[in-house]
Order: sequence, then structure tokens, then C-alpha cells
Amino acid sequence: MSRSKPSSHLLATLLLLLASIAVYAQQKTPPPPGADRPLNLPRITERKLSNGLTVIMAPLPNVPKVTAILTFRAAGTAADREKHPGIAQIAAAVANEGTDTLNSKQIKEELRSIGGSLGLGSDADSTSISASALSEFSPRLFALMSDVAQHASFPEDELKLAKGNTIQRIQAGRADPGFLVSERFQKAVFGNHPYAFVVPDEKSINALMRADLKAFVATYYVPNIAHLIVVGDIDTEKTFAEIEKAFGSWKSGATPAEDNPAVPKREKRQIYFVNRPGSIQSAIYIGNVSIPRKDKDYFSLRTADTILGGSFYSRMTRNIREDKGYTYSPFTASNTQAKSGSYVAGAFVRNEVTGPTLLEMFYELDRMRVLPVTDEELKAAKEFSNGNFSIELASQAGLAGRINTIYTYELSKDFISDFRAKVNALTPADIEKAAAKYFDTYHAAIVIVGDWEKVKDQVTPFGEVTIYDAEGNVISK
Amino acid sequence: MPKLAKRLPQFFVALMTLALGLSGLQAKPLNVPVVYYKLPNGLKVVISEDHVAPVVTVAVYYNVGFRVEPKGRTGFAHLFEHMMFQGSANVKKFEHAKFVEANGGNTNGHTDFDYTNYYETLPSNRVETALWLESDRMRSLDISEENLKNQQNVVSEEIRVNVLNQPYQLFEWIDLWQNAFTNWNNSHNGYGELAEVNAATIDDVRSFFKTYYAPNNAVLTIAGDVDANEVKKMVEKHFAGIPAQASPPAPNLAEPPQTKEKKVAQTDKLANLPALATGYHIPPQSSPDFPAMALLVQILQGDDSARWFQRLVKDKELTLDLTGGLNYFGNEFDYSGPMIMTTRATYKPGHTADEVVKEMDGVIAELIQKGVTEKELSDAKVRFRSSFYNQVESSFGKAHLLSCLALFRDDPNQINHLMDPFDKVTGEQIKTAARKYLVAENRTVIDRVPAAKDQKADAKGDN
Repeated sequence: MSRSKPSSHLLATLLLLLASIAVYAQQKTPPPPGADRPLNLPRITERKLSNGLTVIMAPLPNVPKVTAILTFRAAGTAADREKHPGIAQIAAAVANEGTDTLNSKQIKEELRSIGGSLGLGSDADSTSISASALSEFSPRLFALMSDVAQHASFPEDELKLAKGNTIQRIQAGRADPGFLVSERFQKAVFGNHPYAFVVPDEKSINALMRADLKAFVATYYVPNIAHLIVVGDIDTEKTFAEIEKAFGSWKSGATPAEDNPAVPKREKRQIYFVNRPGSIQSAIYIGNVSIPRKDKDYFSLRTADTILGGSFYSRMTRNIREDKGYTYSPFTASNTQAKSGSYVAGAFVRNEVTGPTLLEMFYELDRMRVLPVTDEELKAAKEFSNGNFSIELASQAGLAGRINTIYTYELSKDFISDFRAKVNALTPADIEKAAAKYFDTYHAAIVIVGDWEKVKDQVTPFGEVTIYDAEGNVISK
Repeated sequence: MPKLAKRLPQFFVALMTLALGLSGLQAKPLNVPVVYYKLPNGLKVVISEDHVAPVVTVAVYYNVGFRVEPKGRTGFAHLFEHMMFQGSANVKKFEHAKFVEANGGNTNGHTDFDYTNYYETLPSNRVETALWLESDRMRSLDISEENLKNQQNVVSEEIRVNVLNQPYQLFEWIDLWQNAFTNWNNSHNGYGELAEVNAATIDDVRSFFKTYYAPNNAVLTIAGDVDANEVKKMVEKHFAGIPAQASPPAPNLAEPPQTKEKKVAQTDKLANLPALATGYHIPPQSSPDFPAMALLVQILQGDDSARWFQRLVKDKELTLDLTGGLNYFGNEFDYSGPMIMTTRATYKPGHTADEVVKEMDGVIAELIQKGVTEKELSDAKVRFRSSFYNQVESSFGKAHLLSCLALFRDDPNQINHLMDPFDKVTGEQIKTAARKYLVAENRTVIDRVPAAKDQKADAKGDN
């Protein structure tokens, strides 16, 4: 019982035909984006406990879990380095191996029964306890974090085991070119600054006593120089009550004196070669000192980095991977921290192309310094930053980690909501200016881990060389 | 009170409320909305809405892993994966990455035992860009000699950086599999021997593409902040016109039962400390023993409260570490062929691999004799559930699981009942699994010790 007239029937057939052509033809150009979707920016609440602990909560109910980070802002890897080198790292390794009321096994079993994890780690600026659990068990997770933060007991047997294992792990790491190149780079760039500290030597580790560690955490693990971030399937008010219960009785302490020497300035380009006989690749890092995270040039440098080597379709990848086939995963990275930062371009390449790779890496670094990026490149870099920022904030660990940078590096509390506007305001001139200043090839540190005998003729044209062994001893200058 | 997103589609919330009202259950089940259908060309399509963040993952999973690559061409499935980024009819070499990143996303691919995947995670209003990109290369991959040579170089560097120039050279995967399995499809080096990677020809690439990269051998999954009905139209527009191909031959993955323990001694020219790896054949996923085996793996080595970790690292102080699991690359659901449970430990100088294995055996014997405690078992289930939530938290993680369930089981809806068989496991079943599978004749042990200092100057493996 069709009521359609012949003409409309014909039209319908035509439309159908057109539709089927549209269906089966291969589209030649990318489809345009759809309408913008709501960003669902996190709702962040900040509170303070009476002991000075800053508490930051952000609901993200993507799964029934909760993710928490408790950061001690003064407990960087180089804290107390004059008297007790490596103490922050050993404290972090042993703090969750026993408290006044729980032994190591009891802590691990409690975590297991709440579907949880809890680990400590130190970086150049701070020590953090990172933890997670099923959200229904959040009070038990907070109780455990609080116990580790306040009552780590450093049992003698656990300390002895951790010291021995740390020494052996470092020894094992000295066989790994990735560890060797990053260690030497950190030392080359930061000289006498605390950021040059990577791992302690055997003697320093052995010298650490239980009383030292107890004193260290009593000084550095205190609420008034700490912040706690809780993200996940939470109700802000209920969660805050749980946090107050777990952390409320924690006693505040004095603020430790800041160790803040000047960041060294590099005088010349220099090659630091770590000899690893038998290497079939050269591990290359080129870089220099850059800026602290809160510097005004942060967004320009970050975006210059995206264009040069911080994304897959970057200049570095297109050149030395997709065009030349020298390497698998070239990269550049802007590592900005509380007091300073570093800029690095890296690649792992077969021995035969070590020299040609250095040439191309310097070319790409210098090209960023001398010529403006194209409008198309900059537009793509902005989209990349903004879109991937949304992806980062969609995971509990991503959001918690991002909030942690705001509080550790004392950034604007509006960092997340302002992010897109700051990125979008950048011009090609901003990028060129930041690159000219921070991709300083003229004074760069060039660190290479490889087989000196096999690649020395390719390396020496690029600068003066100091040769090290895997343990860090200078072999020759 | 487990619950998933608070922003489920309205009809879904209504359904859940109804179900809860009727059953009076305390814990809400995980509810991932799943739309599943097949295009006439055989492409399986999965769509899962989740509006918690403005992002989406588009993933294509092909039913081809490195087990089925041709003899004489180890590493070919992975080399081919690289070729999928070398351009197609309307996308120039490497511009796949350009389009994804210029639209705010990220992209990658991965070659595994039984699948190869390609994915883009990007802002959800760009979903059609990703669909267009995936359809263009599924329909019309551009294959050239020059690009093949380029990617052979790139993959060779990848193998050098991750295997040949590293201490231990991934022996707990490559060497362990070579020794534990007898069927070449299962045992060969899936990363590839350099000479074989570099011997691949353009005809190999063409024929692999035609055989395996057809819509009827793939799953397309879209997970995230999208409208399922709108996405269906886009999928139709970009994928319906891609012709089906003859189904690839089913690979022979049959593995004869192992009857005798295998022990292998190796030296390492780059490592400073000795290490060992063990592999036990485990029952197939379809076996009634499988859920118990999976929880047994958790109980032995799931975390640092687990029995092997406690015995070796803490009580006996024999090893520095202990890592491993049921599937070297993934989880309980993202493979389909024969599998071994692997364990890797760096042990302390002055001790032997035999000492370590003896302690591992001691733990197993104790478990068989006394069983596991109620708490240990219920904790293992909690831990298993918690890891499952970690898996489905991100749009990519969810797309991954949905894709594998569609690819290997033709049923992505299983995501909402995935925990059931594991929740039902009893202590008796754990004991049975230990008794049946954790026996010496079912395992391979590799002991890898540093070479004497004078042999260290010449790393193996380069050509």
C-alpha cells in the first residue's frame, strides 16, 4: 500500500543509488571533525588539615577504584647528600617493609585483600607514596598510607636486605646502555647541582644505619610539606572524612633547610663517552640545562619539543627513522622540574651510522633554532597537546599525576583549566625563540654509550672526548 | 560496592536498577554497554559507549600473530605491522601518524602471539578520522621496495635496542619459548632473526596482506564518548565496501605434551648477574582447570605477597626479583594458542639456579600438601578483579579486551561476565591444578650466567 507517487519513487531510487555510490567509494580526504564534545574537566577540591597537610580530591568514576599520591616535597634523591648520599632512595625502598605495628608481609597481605598497591619512589625533587585500591576499601588504603608515612620502622633485617639488593640492582643496571646513558647525561648536564645525583655508590649505601633512616623520615615525611591527592570513584565529602580520620593525628614538623645551589652553566660542547665493549649500537643523548617547570617559557619549550621529537610524526622521527632508517625510536624530551630542567634528544643507532646520526640530530636541533616552524606544524602540535591532555586526564593515574605536578612545582591552581588557552596562544616566533635559547647545541653535552674502538673515528669530529667506564671512572681525556 | 561509570546511557541505568531491585544483590556487576554485529564482508564490529571523558579509541585487531608467519621469515608479522604505517591509497608514507596527531590523538600497533592490532586514541569528535585511516589501509595498503628496505632497517634497530644489545636478550621470552615448545609455529623467535627480517621481499608483504588483512579476518572496535548509532553509519560508509577475501588456512598450533624436564645452560656476554627463567605449559582457556590455574599463578607470583616472591626474595634471599605471569605479553584473555606460565628471576652470585628451582618446588609441594588458605583464595579473587578494572579503565584497555573477546570467542558481551568462572574457583581446584601442571616434566628451565670476563668483549647476534 505505497502512497508514493512515481516521481518520488524515482527520486528515492536515485537517492539510494547515490547513497550506495557514496558507501562504496573510497573517500580521498580525511573527514572533518564533528562538533566539540564537553571536556568534562575534573572537579578539583582542595582542603587543608590542621596539621598542614594539603588534600586535593577529584572524582573520576571510570572504574570502582581509587588512586592516591602522597608527596613529600623536600625529600628529593639528593636530600641530605652531604652526610647520607642515597638516603632518600633507601628510605623509599624500605618504608613499606614494616611499621611499628605491621611487618612487611602483613602490609603486602593487607594490600592484596583490598585489591591494592602501594609503592614509594624518589625523584630529583620529592618522594611520593603512590597507591591504589578498590574504592570500597578506600579507608583501609588511607590507613595503610598513613601508617607508612608516620610509622615506618625500618626493621634491621629488611634494611640489610634492601641495601644488598640495591647494590646488586645497580650492578645489574651497569650492563644496560639505557641506564648508563641517562646516568652520565644527568651528571654531565648538572655538574655539582643536586640534580646530578642518580644513584649512590656501594660505600654510601652500606653506611646507612637504621637510626639515620628514622631521623630522615622524621624530618622529611611531615604533613606540612606534603600533599595528598585522591582521584577516582569517590564522593568528595565522604572521602575527606576518611582522610581526616586516617591522617588527622599526624604531627607537623619543621621545614628542612633548602639545598639550592646555582645551576651550572655549560662552557662548551663536550663528548662524554661511556665505553661498553661489545656494544652493537651507540646510545646517544644530546642536551643541556633548560628551565624549571614554572618558567614562563614552559609552554613554548614544550611545544617546540613536540615538533622536534616529542611526537611520532616529529621532525626527528621523519628524518632519522622514516627517511634514513638509522634508528627505531628517536625522541626528544623536555624534563622540567622544581629548580631547573634539562632538554635531551636521544637515539639508539647501529655502530655504523653513529657519526651520520650525530650530524642529523644537530641539524634538526639547529634548524629549530634558526628557522620558524610552519603554521601547519604549529597547528598540529597544538591539537596534539590539547587532545592528548584530555586523554591523560581520563585515567586516574594520569589525572592524579598531573595534579601532583601542580603542587610539587608550585604551578598555578588553574593549570588544567588554562592549559588549552596557553597552548593556543603560541606563535611560530615563540617557538623559535624558545628553541634558540634552549636547544643550545653550541654548548651541548653529548653522551654516548658504545664500543669506543668501533665508533671513535665517527665520534671525534664532534668535539673533545672524555672516556668513562661503566662504573663512572674516567679512563682517558 | 563496585560500579562502573556514573554516566551510563539512561536506558542502561534503568536496566541496572531493575536488575538490582529484582535480585537484591549487594555488589553491582560490571556493566559495559556492548553493541556487536558483523558487516556483510565479515568484519566484526564492536561499539561501546562511555561518556566519562571526551575521548575514544578506534582499534582494528587482525587475526594474525607471529605464530603463523612463514618459516624462514621469523619476525615477519611484526615487520608487516610496520608496513601498515607506510601509506595507503589516500594517505602518504607515515602520514597516518600525522593525521592522528594533528587531530589530537596518538596511535600505535603491536604484534602478539595470536593477533596484531592498530589503534588510535583521540578526542571523540574526531572518531571518523580514525575510521577513515583504518579503512584506507585495510582496503588499499601502498607497498613499495623503498619503504620495505627502510622498515627493515628500522625493525633491525628495534631488535638491536630491545634484544641484541641488552643484557639477558629477553631470554625469558625468546629462548624459553624456543626450548619449551616443539611445534615451530609456537617455538620460533617472534621478534625475528636479523637475517630473516632482512630477507623479506615485497611479494611476501603483498601476499601476507592479501591473506590476513581482510575484513573477514578482523575486528573493528570503537570504545568511548560516541553515539553508537552515528558510529554505525560511519562504519558502514568506510568499511562496507572493502571486499572479503578467502579465509586464511587455520594454522596448526598443536603441541605434543611434554614428558621430560628440559634444562638449558646459557652464558651472557653483556650481563653482570646470573638469572633464570622457567616455563610451565598451562591448560587451554577452554579447560575447566584454566580459572584455577590463573588464580594459582596469582598466588605464586601475582605480587610481592605471593608465595614464590616471599620464599625466594624475602625468606631465602636467593633472588633480587621475581617477575612473570600466565601470558608473557598480556593477560588471560588476549591469546588463543598454547601458552606457558613464565617466571624470571635475577639470582645472587654465589648461588645456583638449582637452589632457586628447589625452593620453587618446595613451595609447590607445600601448596599441594596443605592447600591454600581461605583468605589467600578470596584475596586472589579480589586482586584479579582489581587488575581487571585496571584493564578496562582506559578506552584503549576496554577496546583491547572487547576486541580480543570478539576475535577469539566471537562474543564481546562476555566482558560483563568475565570474572564469573574465576569467582567460583575452590581451594581444591587450586591444589588439583598445581598437582597436574606444576610438575618438573612439564617445565623448561634456562640458567643464564655472565660469561667469563675475557669473553665479554664480543656481543653475539649482529650480522
